Amino acid sequence: MSAGNSTTVHSGVGAAPGRASGKAYVIRDAEDIMAVPAGCILVLRILHPHLAPLLPRVAGLVVEEGAILQHATTLARECGIPAAVGIRDARNLFQDADLLEVDGYTGKVTETHLH
Amino acid sequence: MLDEDKQVGNMAEAAARAAQPYRRHIVGLPLQRSLFGQAARAATTIGLPGLTSELDFPARLDENGDLFLDGSQVATLSKALPAWFTPETLELMHTRHAAACDALVNASENAARGAASLDRAARELSQDLADKMALVLAYGVLSKFVPDVLLRALADAGDVEPPPFPETSAGAELMQDMFALYQDCRALDYTPQRLQREWPRVSPQVFQLVAEFCNRQSGFGPLAWDSPGHEDPDYVVRLLHSAFDSLDAEQVRRRFSFANRPALARSSTGVSTEVTALRRVLGFWLDFLEWETWYVRRAFYVGMIPLLRQLAAGYRHEMPAFQVADLLFLDIRELVAGIADPAVIHTRRHRYMENSDYLSFHGIDPGRLATILEGS
Repeated sequence: MSAGNSTTVHSGVGAAPGRASGKAYVIRDAEDIMAVPAGCILVLRILHPHLAPLLPRVAGLVVEEGAILQHATTLARECGIPAAVGIRDARNLFQDADLLEVDGYTGKVTETHLH
Repeated sequence: MLDEDKQVGNMAEAAARAAQPYRRHIVGLPLQRSLFGQAARAATTIGLPGLTSELDFPARLDENGDLFLDGSQVATLSKALPAWFTPETLELMHTRHAAACDALVNASENAARGAASLDRAARELSQDLADKMALVLAYGVLSKFVPDVLLRALADAGDVEPPPFPETSAGAELMQDMFALYQDCRALDYTPQRLQREWPRVSPQVFQLVAEFCNRQSGFGPLAWDSPGHEDPDYVVRLLHSAFDSLDAEQVRRRFSFANRPALARSSTGVSTEVTALRRVLGFWLDFLEWETWYVRRAFYVGMIPLLRQLAAGYRHEMPAFQVADLLFLDIRELVAGIADPAVIHTRRHRYMENSDYLSFHGIDPGRLATILEGS
């Protein structure tokens, strides 16, 4: 990362412990789940149980919906995938391939802007 | 003809209080939408405080399939709940909630067995199944805030343990089963890529493996019945490709065998009765959160579809062009009463097919309804 890069930090709730970084992949509609890149940070409104098979290829999770008590928390904790929930409007904040770091302890998502 | 607005039950007046949808496009088919007309039933069944009438209940689904929750009403209910919690009321909540889930599973199996019987019986079974689906959906609406209230009540009671998350969740079970399917297909020389490329012209053994998976996991998918899910072999083959292509199976196995497991609930020794009761009920809600959609979706695929086929066969005596999918454009009262006006069905179907935002969001192609209902 060059010294000229900048970051933006978005605060949510830490839902599953650990830290992960990678490129964002945003789920906007049903078809998007059919092309999830390996090692991505998956960004979605909510992680329903039927999407659980995708987790083996995901490095981290960023979820829009808020509370600690939700599907994403349960699944991410079981699978050991760092997760931040309650990142409002995440699907609009982030684009595919944005560089993200998820801190599943604090719920912070750091977006790096390359200059 | 029934007024379409009344499909969403008595929540319409409460609707005006909430301007922004809580969730957009969750359900689009009139038949499924009409099941949300009893959104207050779970609350009244367990006697939640603060409800003087159903109009006080803060949820409704509009004709676009958007769910509205009135934040101020939710806050009022949430505030009233902790004082209502006692070991007795928590036990009542738990047993009635569990009974509603069990009853839906039984009604689904019952409907599947009874579908070959007479038309009248099919209507009665449809009513019974729909009632039980509606009640589980109503618990689903409560799940938007009751678990949070329970968690806060636990904290207020001095409990410092992690929430009682399920040890093995519904999603984890599904993931393990799909991983097993992936490995079984690999053992028969079908990589995810090959499986997707050649599907459905694959070996009979592989075809059978996928079909059995779909039967077993029917119920996992989005809440909207019309959106593809794990009952659909095409969907499963594509998802398996998306999930496991280019992944090292050994790495996947290793990763998940060392995964952090949720903390187990501590021993109840020395813990107050109140905390024990709260943790037990919260544990059930957290498990329910994982299965709530499965209950209703499986009931549709296992129980309701055979009934709809039976009922459509009856309509075809008078209307030869009648399709099973037409019944999805009735509300549940019309379905049970046998009211099927072709003009109304046509209008509602047209409106549905024109809703490109909804169809695209849920991945519904034009032939989807025929595929799931005609079995083609």
